Amino acid sequence: MASSKAARIGEEVWKSRVDKVNAELVTLTYGTIVAQLCKDYESDYIEVNKQLDKMGYNIGLRLIEDYLAKSNTMNRCSNFRETAEMIAKVGFKIFLNITPAVTNWTSDNKQFSLIFDENPLADFVELPDDGRAQDELWYSNIFCGVLRGALEMVQMQVEAHFISDVLRGNDSTEMRISLIRYIDDEMPVDDD
Amino acid sequence: MTAVPSIACLGVIGKNVYTSSTIKNPLHISIFPSQPGNKPVRTPLQFSLILSSTLDIFEARSKANVSTGGGLSGDFGLLHAIDERLAAYGFETNTGVRFVAVVDMRGRIVGDEAARSQVTGLREGEMKLVFRAMQTAYVRLLQNPFYDPDEHSPPAGKGGKKITSRKFTEDMKRLGETWAPGLATL
Repeated sequence: MASSKAARIGEEVWKSRVDKVNAELVTLTYGTIVAQLCKDYESDYIEVNKQLDKMGYNIGLRLIEDYLAKSNTMNRCSNFRETAEMIAKVGFKIFLNITPAVTNWTSDNKQFSLIFDENPLADFVELPDDGRAQDELWYSNIFCGVLRGALEMVQMQVEAHFISDVLRGNDSTEMRISLIRYIDDEMPVDDD
Repeated sequence: MTAVPSIACLGVIGKNVYTSSTIKNPLHISIFPSQPGNKPVRTPLQFSLILSSTLDIFEARSKANVSTGGGLSGDFGLLHAIDERLAAYGFETNTGVRFVAVVDMRGRIVGDEAARSQVTGLREGEMKLVFRAMQTAYVRLLQNPFYDPDEHSPPAGKGGKKITSRKFTEDMKRLGETWAPGLATL
């Protein structure tokens, strides 16, 4: 029920409140960033992953505000499952017009996977054929940072990483997200 | 049994690889046998020479085009008929990248049934579809951020690398194997 509601919100916001931009502009811009990072770090892909994650984190910190304003959801998600639905069906929908599938929950409801059947960032991409990129580079790693940054701003500390990518020859592109803890709001000391 | 034209060779030639009418390194060559299991009608070296020989024609035609002010479509049509079987068709993009398709006029043997539905020979403009598909594949190749065009067509003209993209090679293979005269889409 919550899931279809989220899908409806996502659709509505995407249609009425989002400025659209040419997809190739996005793809090429992101591609250039990744390719340049690979060059700058002399194909140290582990470091490239880290940098992408950092960039994403800085995007996430800002993006969440825009997300909250556009989606008009003033109430908090009641649990992590609802958060996951909102990320997939509203967040990804309004910013990229995709809705990754939410699956593979652990029994304690603290870990889930996002499965991307389409990924606008990775259109046209073929990883460098140097024998290492296929095993080390997570091309779309910026997403992990975005989620980490955005959720941190709404009092959730999460850890996100990719576990498979079609660019590497895997069957699907899957990101694993784990909730570490809810960050308590620090209350100001009472004056009275 | 009738023979219909099929593609014998597809070549992509970058700009700046043209030095004294021999290709130092074309960006890509795919060679196709007329039937799976058959040997191609020429050796790779011979195909490479055929591609080289088309360059002069490209050059001459584009000069002619400039003086008459026409020919901006990029389609060069039939470049030359090599012998009674092979004919080379050409296309040049506005950035100077050239696509060549060598067609084997008696390439694929088809049954009489199939032959009746197909027109024998090649009509004017029939190759447009092939070049459109090659261009699409080339555009997709260029969109890959890890493909560096300068590495393949260096401004200095020498030492360009061949295209190694798996996707592009597969696209060329599919194109060469599936194309037949009269097809509406590929």
